[in-house]
Amino acid sequence: MPHGSGSAVGADDNHASNNMSSSNAEEYVLLIEFVHKHLDFHNAELLSTLELNGIIQGTDCHFRPLPNANPLSDSTRPFYILSLPWSSIGCKFSVSDEHDIDESKGNAKQINLVSALARCTLIRSVVELWGTGRTMDECVESIQNGNALRRHQEGKHLGSDAKVFKERSWKITVHTLGGTYTREEHSEMRSKFSFLELPGRVKMRDPDDEYLFVREVELDSQGGAVYPRHSGVNREIIPEHDARPSLACYFGRILGNSKLGRNWRGSNRLEQYSLKKRAYLGPTSMDSELSLIMTNLALIRKGSMVFDPFVGTASILLTAALRGAYVFGTDIDLRVLRGRSEDENIASNFKQYGLRPPELVRCDNAIYHRHFRDHLPMFDAIVTDPPYGIRAGAKKSGARKEGEVRPILDEHRYDHVAQTRPYAVSDVMADLLNVAAMTLKMGGRLVYVIPSMLDFDEEQDLPRHDCLRIVYVCFQPLGTELGRRTVTMEKIKEYDESKRSLYLKDVWLNGSESAEKVANIRDRLLEAAKKKPGYEEKAAIRKQKRRATKEAKKKAKRVAGAQSANSASQAGDE
Amino acid sequence: MRLLTHNFLKSNVRGTENGYPLTIEATTVRCEESPADREFVLGLLPKVNYPALQAAARQLNPHCDPPLPDLPEDLDPSDAGGNERLDDATVGALHRVLFDVYLVEGWLVCPDTGRKFPVKDGIPNMILHEDEI
Repeated sequence: MPHGSGSAVGADDNHASNNMSSSNAEEYVLLIEFVHKHLDFHNAELLSTLELNGIIQGTDCHFRPLPNANPLSDSTRPFYILSLPWSSIGCKFSVSDEHDIDESKGNAKQINLVSALARCTLIRSVVELWGTGRTMDECVESIQNGNALRRHQEGKHLGSDAKVFKERSWKITVHTLGGTYTREEHSEMRSKFSFLELPGRVKMRDPDDEYLFVREVELDSQGGAVYPRHSGVNREIIPEHDARPSLACYFGRILGNSKLGRNWRGSNRLEQYSLKKRAYLGPTSMDSELSLIMTNLALIRKGSMVFDPFVGTASILLTAALRGAYVFGTDIDLRVLRGRSEDENIASNFKQYGLRPPELVRCDNAIYHRHFRDHLPMFDAIVTDPPYGIRAGAKKSGARKEGEVRPILDEHRYDHVAQTRPYAVSDVMADLLNVAAMTLKMGGRLVYVIPSMLDFDEEQDLPRHDCLRIVYVCFQPLGTELGRRTVTMEKIKEYDESKRSLYLKDVWLNGSESAEKVANIRDRLLEAAKKKPGYEEKAAIRKQKRRATKEAKKKAKRVAGAQSANSASQAGDE
Repeated sequence: MRLLTHNFLKSNVRGTENGYPLTIEATTVRCEESPADREFVLGLLPKVNYPALQAAARQLNPHCDPPLPDLPEDLDPSDAGGNERLDDATVGALHRVLFDVYLVEGWLVCPDTGRKFPVKDGIPNMILHEDEI
């Protein structure tokens, strides 16, 4: 099963009915809306976020089916319904806005659900669900049969500083997925909820309560409607599509509104970590969003020990350090470790964010056990983006050509750049898994990224290790032929050094066949590109450009040389 | 490079089995205080090779101003019960020695072969040249 264990959808299916009003009145229900990207990550990131906050699925919370639930397509819908016992609200959990939405501060006794869920990068917003159904009418009925309004009138869960119901200003936002409606149509939808008879005044900016009505329809992988309401050319309404019933309707009150707004992601939270703001970037730096997600999948907390054996520019470690982790990185490439200059290097990046520098060592992960003494498992998490020959070739130590080793003269030794040779991707992955098995604590997580072409079979072709189990596999397409999988593994068995060669032998299920699919991706990409029309032309243009740049550089050098010669001779004259 | 890292590094010169611990020859050392995390230090302690840590602290001490705090003479890092009873001052001292001292420039020397691994900008370079592998 591609999503590994712990799939949320349909997990606790005691409530077969789609109508929320028949669900247990003792529940407090949340609607979680995700952004419509990285679809394959939603389940994994949500479950990891819950685990990180000590919220136990099955005990503390249960997932409920969406209206029109269908196991085949549910994973493409950006919604989850999560219910908690009403008795736990105000006790183990709080939903008030009072708590600081600051991840580093944590009230040890009570978990604020808003802060907890705010850590999940892909969540768009969290709504206290008042009613749901397949259609607007079913949704209204379920609100009328439920007790959310009454609870809100009582306001106990809003916190002691909250305004009383009578004085709470409000507005209703209408969110129609996959189609636009006119202002009049929005108004009409809003009027369906006038039965709530909210006493406070309507306030468009920063109301105390922002209510959300969502109309969900089937969406395609790009986030557009499968049956669009309007035709592309004239923007005329397509009657057959317009007449189709909605997939689901939801109504509720947005949580965390005053601190995070309607759209949790739009605020300056992600911006803060934005890769663009870092002084030192390299071609291999991981985009900040994926690093944030990876740190969640790896369950990285304050005080975690985190290792990246292919650290590069340390972009992933930076994100881990922002979570409060102690970070270690190794790499064989000295230039990328040292950075470009005094102001553009890894340490300056960390300083930019007020973090202490990471521990870095230049060494070779292929021989980890020769660089580091035997030690007890030490790391809570290993998060990495291994080199796979597309942007940066993997190297390991050793002479490039077998048998051809010239001794290095002593006087050259300190500055000598040790030769390295290509390190097949299949070996990179095997060594990575083995080091993880050796150095992770039990229950610790390995999260890595692996590129794959279309012929990749998750069941057969992912690398394995006896001590590790696959928890999640999240696929991200990158263009038409290439994709990238973020794999999360967990250590479940203690490492046995005597079994080292056995472990390494069994990494690839189909032996060399699987390994081949991962290796040589650069060559395969090149092959694929060559077959495309226009390749020859583009290659010729690129060659010309390279020549022109080279010529320009040479010219500049000559001119500079001539100038300094001139000034030197002038100085000599004086 | 902090002493925590040094505690795990060894020499990988061909043929040597006694490449641990590496002797520190310091040129530039930097000290930067940080808040001690008791739980974290105690969790780390069982993994630390204590004699190597003591030796490393002694080697760096001449370069530290103010000097490093004294570490307890006898300490069995694997003794969880004993560790729990360590007072805050001792835990603070351990934290300081493990996390607050940086070797910025210097050498890590293999105790067996004498091979010197350079440390520049706080990053130790442990890669052997191709004629040593």
